[in-house]
Amino acid sequence: MADVSWTNESGSSALLSNKSNNRVKFAIGGLLMFAAIVFLVVNAVRGNTQLYKTVAEFYSQQEELQGRDLRVAGWVMGDSIKFTQIDAATSQLEFEIVDDYYNPNLRLKVIAMNEPMPDLLQDQAQALVEGRAGEGGVFLVNPGGLMLKCPTRYEELDPAGHPSGVTFSSNNQ
Amino acid sequence: MIADLGYFSLLFALLAAVYAVGAAWYGHKSHNERWLESARNATLITLPLTALSSALLITLLLTNDFSIQYVWRVSSIEQPTYLKVTALWGGQAGSLLFWNFLLAAFTAAAMAHKWDEQKPLMPYAIIVASFTQIFFLSLSAFVENPFARIAGGIIPANGNGLNPLLRHPGMIIHPPMLYLGFTGFTIPYTFAMAALISGRLDDTWIRTTRRWTLVAWLFLSLGLILGGRWAYDVLGWGGYWGWDPVENASLIPWLSGTAFLHSVMIQEKRQMFKWWNMFLIVITYLLVIYGTFIVRSGVISSVHSFAQSAVGPLFFGFIAVMALFSIYWITKRREDLKSEHTLASFLSREAAFLYNNFLFLAILAIVFLFTNYPIISELFTGERGFVGPPVYERALAPLFLLLLGLMGIAPLTMWYRTSLQRLGQAMVWPAVVATVTIVVLFFLEVRLWAALLGVWTITFSMVLTLVEFGKGTQARMRRGENFFTAFSNLMARSRRRYGGYWIHLGVLVMAYGVIGVELYQQETQRQLQAGEIVALGAYEVQFLNVMQRPGPDDLIITEAVLDVYKNGRLVATLTPRREIYTRTGQPMTIPDARSTFFEDFYVLLAEQPTSPTAVTLRLFLNPLINWVWAGGFIFVLGTLIAAWPDPVEDKITAVRARQRPAVALTGD
Repeated sequence: MADVSWTNESGSSALLSNKSNNRVKFAIGGLLMFAAIVFLVVNAVRGNTQLYKTVAEFYSQQEELQGRDLRVAGWVMGDSIKFTQIDAATSQLEFEIVDDYYNPNLRLKVIAMNEPMPDLLQDQAQALVEGRAGEGGVFLVNPGGLMLKCPTRYEELDPAGHPSGVTFSSNNQ
Repeated sequence: MIADLGYFSLLFALLAAVYAVGAAWYGHKSHNERWLESARNATLITLPLTALSSALLITLLLTNDFSIQYVWRVSSIEQPTYLKVTALWGGQAGSLLFWNFLLAAFTAAAMAHKWDEQKPLMPYAIIVASFTQIFFLSLSAFVENPFARIAGGIIPANGNGLNPLLRHPGMIIHPPMLYLGFTGFTIPYTFAMAALISGRLDDTWIRTTRRWTLVAWLFLSLGLILGGRWAYDVLGWGGYWGWDPVENASLIPWLSGTAFLHSVMIQEKRQMFKWWNMFLIVITYLLVIYGTFIVRSGVISSVHSFAQSAVGPLFFGFIAVMALFSIYWITKRREDLKSEHTLASFLSREAAFLYNNFLFLAILAIVFLFTNYPIISELFTGERGFVGPPVYERALAPLFLLLLGLMGIAPLTMWYRTSLQRLGQAMVWPAVVATVTIVVLFFLEVRLWAALLGVWTITFSMVLTLVEFGKGTQARMRRGENFFTAFSNLMARSRRRYGGYWIHLGVLVMAYGVIGVELYQQETQRQLQAGEIVALGAYEVQFLNVMQRPGPDDLIITEAVLDVYKNGRLVATLTPRREIYTRTGQPMTIPDARSTFFEDFYVLLAEQPTSPTAVTLRLFLNPLINWVWAGGFIFVLGTLIAAWPDPVEDKITAVRARQRPAVALTGD
């Protein structure tokens, strides 16, 4: 019944005024909500973003990247993987990543403290690491910041054993 | 031979889809029903053709035909049979073929279901659905051919095999559920566009679209929940959601689909928000394609994305074409999409749905923005930025909290206008119960304000929702029905309403779990010698020894034996293990857990033990994690209740269809 009486008001000045009031309220409400979202986004993002870098970029911009939160991707060199138990409460996992598996001129040493050994961390795996530049050109991984590419998507090797993705660069990510 | 047959089957499916577009168009223009029937048959035949193509690829996988590149990549001789079958969706090309099969199944179901009732929309529906099919079938046929042979006639002796981490029952069901959800959203879009183009924007399309949306949404929800469970069980990081771009790619269309399922009720009841509903259906479809683009193009670095592929630009082009097409028709029909009523009060059921939509869209916008942050930041700053899970959580937590609160309040509101006094009265007792709950929790040492605020909101909404069930049941009991009859009749007679409330309950239970595990998860890593003990929370773990034994196939299993004590009492013996596939050297860490209603004590080996008397353990204490899964179960149950065909509603739709003019092959 409410529907009927409501629609029957159509055309009356009361409804017109109500409509225009609603529009103003909508506009103000919409603007406030938009401002709230912008605030939430800016507040969350400010000072908390990571810069995505390749190994080559990491080395060429090492000084300016000091103290920044970084995300670096690369191919894992299998011969560099090492898990060391320093004492009962401290372990160190280290390995090297490169942009181009077949021309590994620049190797970035990645160090993760107290991280378990991931099953996927092996030769030619693709690693995504989050962390910071440490002393001596090493990369220190944040807690939980070591990720290996999901196994469903391993399609990188050709039958001769060469990765078909070949290199990591700014453009191909 | 088998590969050739599979490929030709795929090509014929593509030809059938192209023919369907032409025949539907011609049939519509010439008012010739035979052409229209022919177009429908062409659409239907894409199903057996893509099914045959998929079956033949499975045959190649089962027969270890490693001359086929795809088979070599995702299968091996040793792989168990069920994993050879599931390898169909284990890589880019196969999963695209599987996608085509599901799309054909949905399209065929939509064309076969109530053809006569929907006839006026069908020429356009066939054209839109077949156009989507043409795009995906072309990708399979010309860009990611699953039947391509290895160049140079090489036939490897064995294949790479599916990664051992995928040897989990989750592989059987999680990807198909996600794909069903994604492909399913094509159908609501198809009917929405058909309604737009034909100008038949009455109730029929919205009822049809809602049902199909609910089906797609159910599958997508299942895919998301199962993905979380799989990650928790297998990946060994004690979590279930990582805000990875590819995970977000599934969540984003789910958010817009959820917004639509709510706002569609306003259109059905009050003929409002027509334009908005059309917009939601369109963006859900576009976001599905966009999500597929993110997963398959490798444009954003993600731990889940496929290898980089040539499909990226093609997806982008397709999205652009479909977006322009949709915008054109929405603009053209803007007069027909005007609301027949305006919002009378900001305290009404309509307004509650509006706030709900605002919150869903705000969450969607933020997740979309953060997911695409690498691209956006590079565009504006020249540097590729990335945002991690803490940023998502900080930005989204207030919006989720509001949504949880609204979930309880919205069902109390009335259409048109609700009095503040009535609303206030209904909220008093739930607020009291919620307050008592957090006071009790405070004395139980729960002191984080975020946890207390979250629990207050969830409890408040939960009590409100339970009261709705209680009121409905009581009303029926007053007619002489006993409690069980009253409750089951309530569910059966108002499936949409009470199915929706079950869904809300599921979400609320999940939300308790999320608060528990996100705010109170504890973890530690420690090396232990035999007999040594490590403590975490109220638990103590004593390491006894390491045992090694051969497993099935080429497996070597190394497991640690641990006694677990809680408050000094032995409660479990856990055996977390590492399995090594000796042929490939691939390890697989299998956690073990003591699982109770209130928490999981989750243990995994941090590395391969090298001595029988020493082991490095990673321990997690995950409070309320099982509430996430229990909530997921209730959620799915609610969706099934809401989506179950309602004979009364079907009758109404049929009557309305009969009331329309008999000859309905005309349009623009």
